[in-house]
Amino acid sequence: MFFKILLSYLIGYLRIEVTGYYIERFINLCNSNHILTWNLKKGKNANILLNIEINSLKEIVKLAKRTKCKIKIRNKKGLPFLINKYKKRKIFIASLIVIILLFFLSSNFIWNIEIKEDEENKAYNIQQDIEEAGLKVGQLKRKLNTKEIINKIRLKRDDIAWIGIELKGTNAIVKVVKATEKPDIIEDSQYCNIVSDKEGVVTKINAQKGTAQVKVGDTITKGTILIGGWMEGKYTGIRYVHAEGEIEAKVWYTKTKKVKYKTTETQETGNQEKKFSMKFNNFQINFNKGVSKFKIYDTMETEKKFQLFSDFYLPISIVEKTNKELKKVKKSYSPEEAKNLGIQELEEELDKQIEDKESIINKNINAYEKEDHVEIYVTYEVLEKIGTNDKI
Amino acid sequence: MKNSRRDKINKILEIPQEVYSNVPKIIITGFDEMIVENFKGILEYEDFYVRINTYIGVVNINGFELKLENISDEDIKVTGKIESFDIERIE
Repeated sequence: MFFKILLSYLIGYLRIEVTGYYIERFINLCNSNHILTWNLKKGKNANILLNIEINSLKEIVKLAKRTKCKIKIRNKKGLPFLINKYKKRKIFIASLIVIILLFFLSSNFIWNIEIKEDEENKAYNIQQDIEEAGLKVGQLKRKLNTKEIINKIRLKRDDIAWIGIELKGTNAIVKVVKATEKPDIIEDSQYCNIVSDKEGVVTKINAQKGTAQVKVGDTITKGTILIGGWMEGKYTGIRYVHAEGEIEAKVWYTKTKKVKYKTTETQETGNQEKKFSMKFNNFQINFNKGVSKFKIYDTMETEKKFQLFSDFYLPISIVEKTNKELKKVKKSYSPEEAKNLGIQELEEELDKQIEDKESIINKNINAYEKEDHVEIYVTYEVLEKIGTNDKI
Repeated sequence: MKNSRRDKINKILEIPQEVYSNVPKIIITGFDEMIVENFKGILEYEDFYVRINTYIGVVNINGFELKLENISDEDIKVTGKIESFDIERIE
Protein backbone atom coordinates (compact mmCIF):
# COMPACT_ATOMS: atom_id res chain seq x y z
CA MET A 1 0.00 0.00 0.00
CA PHE A 2 2.66 2.41 1.03
CA PHE A 3 4.69 1.41 -1.98
CA LYS A 4 1.75 2.10 -4.28
CA ILE A 5 1.34 5.59 -2.83
CA LEU A 6 5.05 6.23 -3.28
CA LEU A 7 4.82 5.11 -6.88
CA SER A 8 1.84 7.35 -7.46
CA TYR A 9 3.96 10.29 -6.34
CA LEU A 10 6.28 9.57 -9.23
CA ILE A 11 3.47 9.20 -11.71
CA GLY A 12 1.47 12.05 -10.27
CA TYR A 13 -1.68 12.13 -8.17
CA LEU A 14 -4.71 14.35 -7.70
CA ARG A 15 -6.50 15.63 -4.66
CA ILE A 16 -10.16 15.89 -5.56
CA GLU A 17 -13.23 17.14 -3.85
CA VAL A 18 -16.39 15.05 -4.14
CA THR A 19 -19.68 16.65 -3.24
CA GLY A 20 -22.95 14.79 -3.00
CA TYR A 21 -25.35 12.89 -0.75
CA TYR A 22 -24.16 9.37 -1.47
CA ILE A 23 -20.55 9.78 -0.55
CA GLU A 24 -20.35 6.52 1.39
CA ARG A 25 -21.65 4.71 -1.64
CA PHE A 26 -19.09 6.43 -3.77
CA ILE A 27 -16.28 5.26 -1.49
CA ASN A 28 -17.56 1.72 -1.46
CA LEU A 29 -17.82 1.70 -5.23
CA CYS A 30 -14.25 2.96 -5.54
CA ASN A 31 -13.20 0.17 -3.28
CA SER A 32 -15.05 -2.57 -5.10
CA ASN A 33 -13.65 -1.32 -8.44
CA HIS A 34 -10.13 -1.50 -7.04
CA ILE A 35 -9.41 2.19 -7.32
CA LEU A 36 -6.74 3.31 -4.90
CA THR A 37 -7.84 6.17 -2.66
CA TRP A 38 -6.09 7.55 0.37
CA ASN A 39 -6.17 10.39 2.85
CA LEU A 40 -9.92 10.72 2.93
CA LYS A 41 -11.08 13.74 4.88
CA LYS A 42 -14.59 14.88 5.52
CA GLY A 43 -15.28 18.52 4.68
CA LYS A 44 -17.76 20.76 6.46
CA ASN A 45 -20.61 20.34 3.99
CA ALA A 46 -21.56 17.19 2.19
CA ASN A 47 -18.18 16.96 0.58
CA ILE A 48 -15.06 14.89 0.98
CA LEU A 49 -11.41 15.34 0.03
CA LEU A 50 -9.40 12.41 -1.20
CA ASN A 51 -6.31 11.50 -3.22
CA ILE A 52 -6.46 9.38 -6.32
CA GLU A 53 -3.99 8.18 -8.88
CA ILE A 54 -3.89 10.22 -12.06
CA ASN A 55 -4.83 7.37 -14.38
CA SER A 56 -7.93 6.42 -12.42
CA LEU A 57 -9.62 9.79 -12.95
CA LYS A 58 -11.78 8.57 -15.85
CA GLU A 59 -13.26 5.77 -13.80
CA ILE A 60 -13.83 8.09 -10.88
CA VAL A 61 -15.79 10.46 -13.10
CA LYS A 62 -17.97 7.57 -14.22
CA LEU A 63 -18.59 6.47 -10.66
CA ALA A 64 -19.41 10.01 -9.62
CA LYS A 65 -22.02 10.23 -12.34
CA ARG A 66 -23.56 6.99 -11.09
CA THR A 67 -23.75 8.24 -7.51
CA LYS A 68 -24.76 11.75 -8.57
CA CYS A 69 -21.72 13.40 -7.03
CA LYS A 70 -19.80 16.37 -8.33
CA ILE A 71 -16.05 16.22 -8.74
CA LYS A 72 -13.64 19.12 -8.50
CA ILE A 73 -9.88 18.86 -8.79
CA ARG A 74 -8.28 20.70 -5.92
CA ASN A 75 -4.58 19.99 -6.33
CA LYS A 76 -2.23 18.34 -8.76
CA LYS A 77 0.70 16.81 -7.00
CA GLY A 78 3.61 14.60 -7.85
CA LEU A 79 6.75 14.71 -9.88
CA PRO A 80 5.32 15.34 -13.38
CA PHE A 81 3.44 18.42 -12.19
CA LEU A 82 6.48 19.64 -10.31
CA ILE A 83 8.63 19.38 -13.41
CA ASN A 84 5.96 21.08 -15.46
CA LYS A 85 5.95 23.96 -12.99
CA TYR A 86 9.71 24.44 -13.24
CA LYS A 87 9.76 24.17 -17.02
CA LYS A 88 8.90 27.85 -17.24
CA ARG A 89 11.70 28.92 -14.91
CA LYS A 90 14.59 28.50 -17.26
CA ILE A 91 17.17 30.52 -15.34
CA PHE A 92 16.52 28.52 -12.21
CA ILE A 93 17.07 25.25 -14.04
CA ALA A 94 20.17 26.60 -15.78
CA SER A 95 21.73 27.76 -12.52
CA LEU A 96 20.92 24.43 -10.93
CA ILE A 97 22.75 22.65 -13.71
CA VAL A 98 25.68 25.05 -13.39
CA ILE A 99 25.90 24.43 -9.68
CA ILE A 100 25.89 20.68 -10.16
CA LEU A 101 28.55 20.98 -12.87
CA LEU A 102 30.70 23.20 -10.67
CA PHE A 103 30.30 20.74 -7.88
CA PHE A 104 31.59 17.89 -9.98
CA LEU A 105 34.34 20.01 -11.47
CA SER A 106 35.60 21.19 -8.12
CA SER A 107 35.72 17.67 -6.83
CA ASN A 108 38.51 17.04 -9.33
CA PHE A 109 40.88 19.36 -7.54
CA ILE A 110 42.80 19.16 -4.35
CA TRP A 111 41.62 21.77 -1.88
CA ASN A 112 43.33 20.76 1.28
CA ILE A 113 46.71 19.38 2.14
CA GLU A 114 46.97 17.82 5.51
CA ILE A 115 50.35 16.89 6.88
CA LYS A 116 50.37 14.22 9.52
CA GLU A 117 53.55 13.77 11.41
CA ASP A 118 54.84 13.04 14.81
CA GLU A 119 54.20 15.95 17.14
CA GLU A 120 57.49 15.59 18.94
CA ASN A 121 59.92 15.62 16.06
CA LYS A 122 58.51 17.57 13.21
CA ALA A 123 60.29 17.61 9.91
CA TYR A 124 61.46 21.11 9.24
CA ASN A 125 59.86 22.98 6.34
CA ILE A 126 58.21 19.91 4.92
CA GLN A 127 55.25 21.90 3.63
CA GLN A 128 57.40 23.97 1.33
CA ASP A 129 59.13 20.93 -0.04
CA ILE A 130 55.84 19.24 -0.75
CA GLU A 131 54.68 22.28 -2.69
CA GLU A 132 57.90 22.45 -4.64
CA ALA A 133 57.62 18.78 -5.50
CA GLY A 134 54.30 19.46 -7.16
CA LEU A 135 51.56 18.90 -4.62
CA LYS A 136 49.74 22.22 -4.40
CA VAL A 137 46.31 23.39 -3.36
CA GLY A 138 44.10 23.72 -6.41
CA GLN A 139 45.77 21.08 -8.49
CA LEU A 140 44.00 18.61 -10.71
CA LYS A 141 43.81 15.24 -9.09
CA ARG A 142 44.16 13.41 -12.38
CA LYS A 143 47.56 14.89 -13.17
CA LEU A 144 48.94 14.15 -9.76
CA ASN A 145 51.61 11.51 -9.70
CA THR A 146 52.05 10.67 -6.06
CA LYS A 147 54.93 8.29 -6.64
CA GLU A 148 56.94 10.91 -8.45
CA ILE A 149 56.30 13.47 -5.71
CA ILE A 150 57.31 11.03 -3.03
CA ASN A 151 60.50 10.24 -4.90
CA LYS A 152 61.28 13.92 -5.37
CA ILE A 153 60.84 14.68 -1.69
CA ARG A 154 62.85 11.68 -0.64
CA LEU A 155 65.66 12.63 -2.95
CA LYS A 156 65.72 16.14 -1.62
CA ARG A 157 65.56 15.34 2.05
CA ASP A 158 67.49 12.70 3.84
CA ASP A 159 65.87 13.13 7.24
CA ILE A 160 62.66 11.41 6.27
CA ALA A 161 62.27 7.72 6.81
CA TRP A 162 58.94 7.29 5.10
CA ILE A 163 56.46 9.48 3.28
CA GLY A 164 53.07 8.59 1.91
CA ILE A 165 50.43 10.58 0.05
CA GLU A 166 46.83 9.50 0.26
CA LEU A 167 44.09 11.18 -1.73
CA LYS A 168 40.76 11.23 0.03
CA GLY A 169 38.10 13.21 -1.73
CA THR A 170 39.52 16.70 -2.20
CA ASN A 171 41.85 16.09 0.65
CA ALA A 172 45.48 15.07 0.29
CA ILE A 173 46.86 13.48 3.40
CA VAL A 174 50.63 13.45 3.59
CA LYS A 175 52.05 11.20 6.23
CA VAL A 176 55.62 11.84 7.20
CA VAL A 177 57.77 9.74 9.45
CA LYS A 178 60.99 11.39 10.38
CA ALA A 179 64.07 9.32 10.62
CA THR A 180 65.66 9.32 14.02
CA GLU A 181 69.20 10.50 13.90
CA LYS A 182 71.47 7.59 14.56
CA PRO A 183 74.81 7.99 16.21
CA ASP A 184 77.77 6.91 14.13
CA ILE A 185 78.26 3.27 14.80
CA ILE A 186 81.83 2.23 14.93
CA GLU A 187 82.28 -1.36 14.03
CA ASP A 188 84.17 -3.70 16.24
CA SER A 189 86.93 -4.09 13.70
CA GLN A 190 87.72 -0.38 13.74
CA TYR A 191 89.99 1.22 16.28
CA CYS A 192 88.55 3.72 18.70
CA ASN A 193 89.03 5.53 21.97
CA ILE A 194 86.45 6.00 24.66
CA VAL A 195 85.95 9.70 25.22
CA SER A 196 84.07 11.47 27.97
CA ASP A 197 80.84 13.17 26.99
CA LYS A 198 80.24 14.91 30.30
CA GLU A 199 82.11 16.75 32.96
CA GLY A 200 82.70 15.09 36.26
CA VAL A 201 85.00 13.15 38.54
CA VAL A 202 85.92 9.55 37.79
CA THR A 203 84.85 7.13 40.50
CA LYS A 204 85.43 3.86 38.78
CA ILE A 205 87.32 2.85 35.67
CA ASN A 206 87.61 -0.59 34.24
CA ALA A 207 89.33 -0.99 30.92
CA GLN A 208 88.64 -4.29 29.24
CA LYS A 209 90.45 -3.41 26.04
CA GLY A 210 92.88 -0.58 25.69
CA THR A 211 94.73 1.49 28.23
CA ALA A 212 93.07 3.59 30.90
CA GLN A 213 94.16 7.19 30.55
CA VAL A 214 92.61 8.55 33.75
CA LYS A 215 92.69 7.50 37.36
CA VAL A 216 89.95 7.42 39.96
CA GLY A 217 89.53 10.92 41.32
CA ASP A 218 90.55 12.70 38.14
CA THR A 219 88.38 15.50 36.94
CA ILE A 220 87.39 15.14 33.35
CA THR A 221 85.89 17.50 30.83
CA LYS A 222 84.20 16.91 27.55
CA GLY A 223 86.54 15.26 25.11
CA THR A 224 88.96 13.81 27.59
CA ILE A 225 90.20 10.43 26.45
CA LEU A 226 89.21 7.92 29.12
CA ILE A 227 90.35 4.69 27.59
CA GLY A 228 92.88 4.86 24.80
CA GLY A 229 92.44 2.50 21.92
CA TRP A 230 95.94 1.12 22.05
CA MET A 231 97.92 -1.33 24.06
CA GLU A 232 101.54 -1.15 24.89
CA GLY A 233 103.44 -4.30 25.36
CA LYS A 234 107.02 -4.57 26.32
CA TYR A 235 107.86 -6.58 23.31
CA THR A 236 105.02 -6.05 20.91
CA GLY A 237 105.15 -2.26 20.89
CA ILE A 238 102.05 -0.20 20.36
CA ARG A 239 99.04 -2.07 19.08
CA TYR A 240 95.75 -0.36 18.24
CA VAL A 241 92.49 -1.89 19.45
CA HIS A 242 88.79 -1.16 19.67
CA ALA A 243 88.60 0.21 23.20
CA GLU A 244 86.06 -1.27 25.56
CA GLY A 245 85.42 -0.64 29.19
CA GLU A 246 83.23 0.82 31.86
CA ILE A 247 83.71 4.20 33.41
CA GLU A 248 81.61 5.57 36.19
CA ALA A 249 81.81 9.17 37.17
CA LYS A 250 80.21 11.68 39.44
CA VAL A 251 78.49 14.19 37.25
CA TRP A 252 77.11 17.48 38.43
CA TYR A 253 74.00 18.95 37.03
CA THR A 254 73.65 22.58 37.97
CA LYS A 255 70.87 24.97 37.29
CA THR A 256 70.68 28.57 38.32
CA LYS A 257 67.87 30.98 38.55
CA LYS A 258 67.27 34.52 39.58
CA VAL A 259 63.99 35.20 41.33
CA LYS A 260 63.03 38.82 41.73
CA TYR A 261 61.14 39.90 44.81
CA LYS A 262 58.85 42.15 42.86
CA THR A 263 57.49 40.84 39.58
CA THR A 264 54.59 41.54 37.29
CA GLU A 265 52.77 38.55 35.97
CA THR A 266 50.16 38.41 33.27
CA GLN A 267 46.97 36.58 34.07
CA GLU A 268 43.87 35.81 32.07
CA THR A 269 40.81 37.67 33.26
CA GLY A 270 38.46 35.23 31.61
CA ASN A 271 36.98 37.82 29.27
CA GLN A 272 37.30 36.96 25.63
CA GLU A 273 35.96 38.08 22.32
CA LYS A 274 35.73 36.25 19.05
CA LYS A 275 36.29 37.68 15.62
CA PHE A 276 35.55 35.88 12.45
CA SER A 277 36.89 36.32 8.99
CA MET A 278 36.57 34.44 5.77
CA LYS A 279 39.51 33.36 3.72
CA PHE A 280 39.62 32.41 0.07
CA ASN A 281 43.05 31.06 -0.56
CA ASN A 282 44.99 34.23 0.32
CA PHE A 283 42.22 36.79 0.20
CA GLN A 284 40.72 37.56 3.57
CA ILE A 285 37.49 39.28 4.52
CA ASN A 286 36.99 40.43 8.08
CA PHE A 287 33.50 40.37 9.46
CA ASN A 288 34.31 42.33 12.59
CA LYS A 289 36.06 45.60 12.12
CA GLY A 290 38.16 47.64 14.43
CA VAL A 291 40.69 46.84 17.04
CA SER A 292 40.09 44.79 20.10
CA LYS A 293 38.36 46.38 23.05
CA PHE A 294 40.94 44.99 25.42
CA LYS A 295 44.12 46.81 26.23
CA ILE A 296 46.32 43.80 26.74
CA TYR A 297 45.33 40.58 25.12
CA ASP A 298 46.49 37.33 23.68
CA THR A 299 45.35 36.26 20.24
CA MET A 300 44.68 32.74 19.13
CA GLU A 301 43.86 31.88 15.56
CA THR A 302 42.12 28.75 14.42
CA GLU A 303 41.35 28.04 10.82
CA LYS A 304 38.56 25.79 9.73
CA LYS A 305 38.09 24.67 6.18
CA PHE A 306 34.67 24.49 4.64
CA GLN A 307 33.57 20.97 4.22
CA LEU A 308 30.68 19.68 2.19
CA PHE A 309 30.97 16.03 3.04
CA SER A 310 33.47 14.27 5.19
CA ASP A 311 36.15 14.41 2.52
CA PHE A 312 35.08 17.22 0.26
CA TYR A 313 36.98 20.34 1.22
CA LEU A 314 36.41 23.67 -0.43
CA PRO A 315 39.11 26.35 -0.77
CA ILE A 316 37.20 28.58 1.61
CA SER A 317 38.00 28.69 5.27
CA ILE A 318 36.71 30.52 8.29
CA VAL A 319 39.32 32.02 10.56
CA GLU A 320 38.35 32.44 14.13
CA LYS A 321 40.36 34.86 16.21
CA THR A 322 39.96 34.64 19.92
CA ASN A 323 41.22 37.56 21.96
CA LYS A 324 41.74 36.78 25.58
CA GLU A 325 42.04 39.68 27.92
CA LEU A 326 45.07 39.71 30.12
CA LYS A 327 45.85 41.72 33.19
CA LYS A 328 49.10 42.45 34.84
CA VAL A 329 49.34 41.43 38.42
CA LYS A 330 52.09 42.75 40.58
CA LYS A 331 53.44 40.21 42.94
CA SER A 332 55.92 40.61 45.69
CA TYR A 333 57.64 37.80 47.49
CA SER A 334 59.47 37.79 50.72
CA PRO A 335 63.06 36.53 50.37
CA GLU A 336 62.06 33.21 51.90
CA GLU A 337 59.17 32.71 49.51
CA ALA A 338 61.23 33.63 46.49
CA LYS A 339 63.86 31.15 47.52
CA ASN A 340 61.38 28.31 47.97
CA LEU A 341 59.72 29.07 44.66
CA GLY A 342 63.01 29.09 42.79
CA ILE A 343 64.19 25.87 44.40
CA GLN A 344 60.96 24.12 43.59
CA GLU A 345 61.08 25.12 39.93
CA LEU A 346 64.71 24.17 39.54
CA GLU A 347 64.19 20.79 41.16
CA GLU A 348 61.35 20.04 38.84
CA GLU A 349 63.48 20.90 35.85
CA LEU A 350 66.33 18.74 37.04
CA ASP A 351 64.03 15.84 37.83
CA LYS A 352 62.89 15.90 34.24
CA GLN A 353 66.44 15.86 32.98
CA ILE A 354 67.68 12.99 35.08
CA GLU A 355 65.95 9.77 34.26
CA ASP A 356 67.49 7.47 36.80
CA LYS A 357 66.41 8.88 40.15
CA GLU A 358 68.24 6.26 42.21
CA SER A 359 71.63 7.30 41.00
CA ILE A 360 71.35 10.72 42.59
CA ILE A 361 73.78 10.85 45.43
CA ASN A 362 73.60 14.36 46.63
CA LYS A 363 71.54 17.45 46.30
CA ASN A 364 73.15 20.78 46.87
CA ILE A 365 71.18 23.97 47.14
CA ASN A 366 72.73 27.39 47.49
CA ALA A 367 70.89 30.66 47.65
CA TYR A 368 72.42 34.11 47.68
CA GLU A 369 70.14 36.92 48.69
CA LYS A 370 70.79 40.17 46.88
CA GLU A 371 69.18 43.55 47.07
CA ASP A 372 66.23 42.95 44.76
CA HIS A 373 66.56 39.33 43.82
CA VAL A 374 67.74 35.99 45.07
CA GLU A 375 70.14 33.79 43.13
CA ILE A 376 69.59 30.09 43.51
CA TYR A 377 71.98 27.34 42.53
CA VAL A 378 70.75 23.78 42.64
CA THR A 379 73.28 21.07 41.99
CA TYR A 380 72.60 17.37 41.70
CA GLU A 381 75.40 14.94 42.08
CA VAL A 382 74.71 11.87 40.01
CA LEU A 383 76.65 8.67 39.50
CA GLU A 384 76.59 7.84 35.82
CA LYS A 385 78.17 5.66 33.27
CA ILE A 386 79.85 7.88 30.73
CA GLY A 387 81.87 7.57 27.62
CA THR A 388 81.29 7.33 23.91
CA ASN A 389 83.27 5.76 21.17
CA ASP A 390 85.42 7.99 19.08
CA LYS A 391 87.39 6.95 16.05
CA ILE A 392 91.11 7.37 16.19
CA MET B 1 -21.21 -30.12 9.24
CA LYS B 2 -18.55 -29.67 6.63
CA ASN B 3 -17.83 -26.16 7.85
CA SER B 4 -17.38 -27.18 11.46
CA ARG B 5 -14.89 -29.87 10.46
CA ARG B 6 -12.80 -27.30 8.62
CA ASP B 7 -12.99 -25.09 11.68
CA LYS B 8 -11.63 -27.89 13.80
CA ILE B 9 -8.70 -28.53 11.49
CA ASN B 10 -7.90 -24.86 11.38
CA LYS B 11 -8.03 -24.69 15.14
CA ILE B 12 -5.59 -27.57 15.46
CA LEU B 13 -3.23 -25.99 12.93
CA GLU B 14 -3.57 -22.63 14.72
CA ILE B 15 -4.30 -20.66 11.59
CA PRO B 16 -5.46 -17.13 12.47
CA GLN B 17 -9.19 -16.75 12.27
CA GLU B 18 -9.18 -13.68 10.02
CA VAL B 19 -7.22 -15.60 7.42
CA TYR B 20 -9.59 -18.45 6.83
CA SER B 21 -12.89 -16.72 7.59
CA ASN B 22 -14.52 -13.34 7.09
CA VAL B 23 -14.25 -12.44 10.74
CA PRO B 24 -12.94 -8.87 11.10
CA LYS B 25 -9.82 -8.04 12.99
CA ILE B 26 -9.66 -4.69 14.74
CA ILE B 27 -6.27 -3.29 15.68
CA ILE B 28 -5.97 -0.15 17.78
CA THR B 29 -2.51 1.40 17.95
CA GLY B 30 -2.35 4.10 20.55
CA PHE B 31 -5.50 6.16 20.74
CA ASP B 32 -5.17 7.76 17.32
CA GLU B 33 -5.10 4.89 14.88
CA MET B 34 -7.43 2.02 14.20
CA ILE B 35 -7.24 -0.62 11.51
CA VAL B 36 -10.21 -2.82 10.62
CA GLU B 37 -9.35 -5.84 8.53
CA ASN B 38 -11.88 -7.86 6.56
CA PHE B 39 -14.42 -5.08 6.23
CA LYS B 40 -17.28 -4.99 3.81
CA GLY B 41 -17.90 -1.31 3.24
CA ILE B 42 -18.53 2.08 4.73
CA LEU B 43 -22.05 2.82 5.84
CA GLU B 44 -21.59 6.37 7.10
CA TYR B 45 -18.71 8.75 7.22
CA GLU B 46 -18.68 12.05 9.05
CA ASP B 47 -15.97 14.08 10.68
CA PHE B 48 -16.91 12.70 14.09
CA TYR B 49 -18.45 9.36 13.29
CA VAL B 50 -17.53 6.39 11.12
CA ARG B 51 -19.71 3.33 10.58
CA ILE B 52 -17.93 0.38 9.08
CA ASN B 53 -19.83 -2.66 7.91
CA THR B 54 -18.28 -6.08 8.40
CA TYR B 55 -19.53 -9.59 7.75
CA ILE B 56 -20.64 -10.26 11.31
CA GLY B 57 -21.77 -6.79 12.36
CA VAL B 58 -21.14 -3.07 12.33
CA VAL B 59 -18.28 -1.17 13.98
CA ASN B 60 -19.06 2.38 15.08
CA ILE B 61 -16.22 4.76 15.81
CA ASN B 62 -16.73 8.06 17.60
CA GLY B 63 -14.09 10.78 17.76
CA PHE B 64 -12.86 14.03 16.28
CA GLU B 65 -11.21 14.84 12.99
CA LEU B 66 -11.50 11.30 11.80
CA LYS B 67 -9.75 10.52 8.52
CA LEU B 68 -9.81 7.42 6.38
CA GLU B 69 -6.16 7.18 5.62
CA ASN B 70 -6.03 4.04 3.54
CA ILE B 71 -8.75 2.00 2.00
CA SER B 72 -7.88 -1.23 0.30
CA ASP B 73 -9.83 -4.37 -0.50
CA GLU B 74 -9.43 -5.96 2.89
CA ASP B 75 -8.58 -3.29 5.39
CA ILE B 76 -9.35 0.28 6.30
CA LYS B 77 -7.26 2.59 8.44
CA VAL B 78 -8.99 5.25 10.49
CA THR B 79 -6.91 7.98 12.11
CA GLY B 80 -7.89 10.87 14.32
CA LYS B 81 -8.82 11.39 17.93
CA ILE B 82 -10.80 8.27 18.71
CA GLU B 83 -13.08 8.67 21.69
CA SER B 84 -15.00 5.42 21.70
CA PHE B 85 -16.14 2.61 19.52
CA ASP B 86 -18.90 0.07 19.75
CA ILE B 87 -20.11 -3.01 17.96
CA GLU B 88 -23.54 -3.94 16.62
CA ARG B 89 -24.02 -7.66 16.21
CA ILE B 90 -26.08 -9.15 13.42
CA GLU B 91 -27.66 -12.38 14.54
